[in-house]
Amino acid sequence: MRNSVAAALILVQAALAGCASVPTVRIDDVAVPRSHEITDVAFFPQEDYQCGPASLAEVLSHAGVDVQPEQLVSEVFLPERKGSLQIEMVAAARRHERIPYVLERNRETVIREIAAGHPVLVLQNLGLGWLPVWHYAVVVGYDLDRQEFVLRSGRESRLATEFSVFERTWQRADHWAMVSLAPDRLPATAVEQNFLITVAAVERLGKPGVAARAYMAALEKWPESIGARFGLANASYASGNLAAAEENYREILRADADNAAVWNNLAQVLADQHRWTEAETAAQTAVGLGGDVAPTSRQTLMEIQRNAAQASSPQASP
Amino acid sequence: MKVLRQWAAPLAGYVIVSVLFFSLQVPTANAAMVTTDALLRSAQVQQDRLNIEAALDRADVHDALAGYGVDPTQIQARLDALSDDELHALATNIDNLPAAGTDPLSFLLFIFIVLLITDILGFTQVFPFVKHRAR
Repeated sequence: MRNSVAAALILVQAALAGCASVPTVRIDDVAVPRSHEITDVAFFPQEDYQCGPASLAEVLSHAGVDVQPEQLVSEVFLPERKGSLQIEMVAAARRHERIPYVLERNRETVIREIAAGHPVLVLQNLGLGWLPVWHYAVVVGYDLDRQEFVLRSGRESRLATEFSVFERTWQRADHWAMVSLAPDRLPATAVEQNFLITVAAVERLGKPGVAARAYMAALEKWPESIGARFGLANASYASGNLAAAEENYREILRADADNAAVWNNLAQVLADQHRWTEAETAAQTAVGLGGDVAPTSRQTLMEIQRNAAQASSPQASP
Repeated sequence: MKVLRQWAAPLAGYVIVSVLFFSLQVPTANAAMVTTDALLRSAQVQQDRLNIEAALDRADVHDALAGYGVDPTQIQARLDALSDDELHALATNIDNLPAAGTDPLSFLLFIFIVLLITDILGFTQVFPFVKHRAR
């Protein structure tokens, strides 16, 4: 990986020889500046053992959350372990209505995220494999000429660390890195499936409005994404916006008419509006298509038929 | 935590009975929605079984967080923020996952003290101010 950056550098230098154009370099086929630093990332000097809350607060406040490290202690810190778990750092970002996204495990992704203005929270092992010293820090800048990253780390507001040194401490932590962005902002290196799964977790946490914004951002980048549109429809349904839900389910069906899950959910949305005939037809289509969701589809059809019968019986009619 | 596994069968029975009971009682409107997560993973296999496992994982992680000194009033909110996958990862492996909380300064202090002791014992000779009497 280190070599591919170097190779890219040499190629670009050769191509630009004698030419004083914009100093950029191509990484993963994306042009990034040769150096960049996000200077407006807040710095919270870390109290004892609390690099987790401090780093998380730096990343979240850059994403527009009004939060202090002290507030995050009760969300991520484990007193008896004197530290914070990666999973809880991810979960805490969701609680603050940001979309946590764990990056692909290589240095190029970190550089591309910083070039896009997204500070990157990383886990490092400052010690050794057998004597681990786990530490969270936030990468806020890089410089390809000086071969270094700039970090907010512990009590250092601007710690310049050589790529090679960073690589060693980061590699011992399995190259773990994440960004946490506002829902309408997509990570520069987002992979469709991985991004949608992390948004679905926000949706499940009972924040459908936040999830809907993230699904819309995903649809801007991947307009054909069935997962993103399905998520948007489900989130709309959960927010009580039945019209938007129906419209998005129908949009998917225009491209993918044999999607049983979509027919099933559409049936439910129609049933909620007491449009029994349409609902029953949609549910029957879902049942006919079978697949993984067959048990759910059968249940939906059964409930619709029962409720429709009740609605049309003399006692229930107005 | 492991003790809980012994209760898996009776608890599973309880959950199944209560799920069935409630689904018979109230035909909830959105019980029959396919979730985004299920579509993304193209697997809605035996959702009931997964729900039971998640309930067990949740109980394990609850105990683990309490054991690690988390304020009892905070545990519920922390559990609620976790997805089923995350609950499962914590339930099976929380003791071995890294809990990062290093203060780099105290780490340096620690190294300093270790080297100081080894200097004094004569194993190392890092600090010039540690003098050993010639024998």
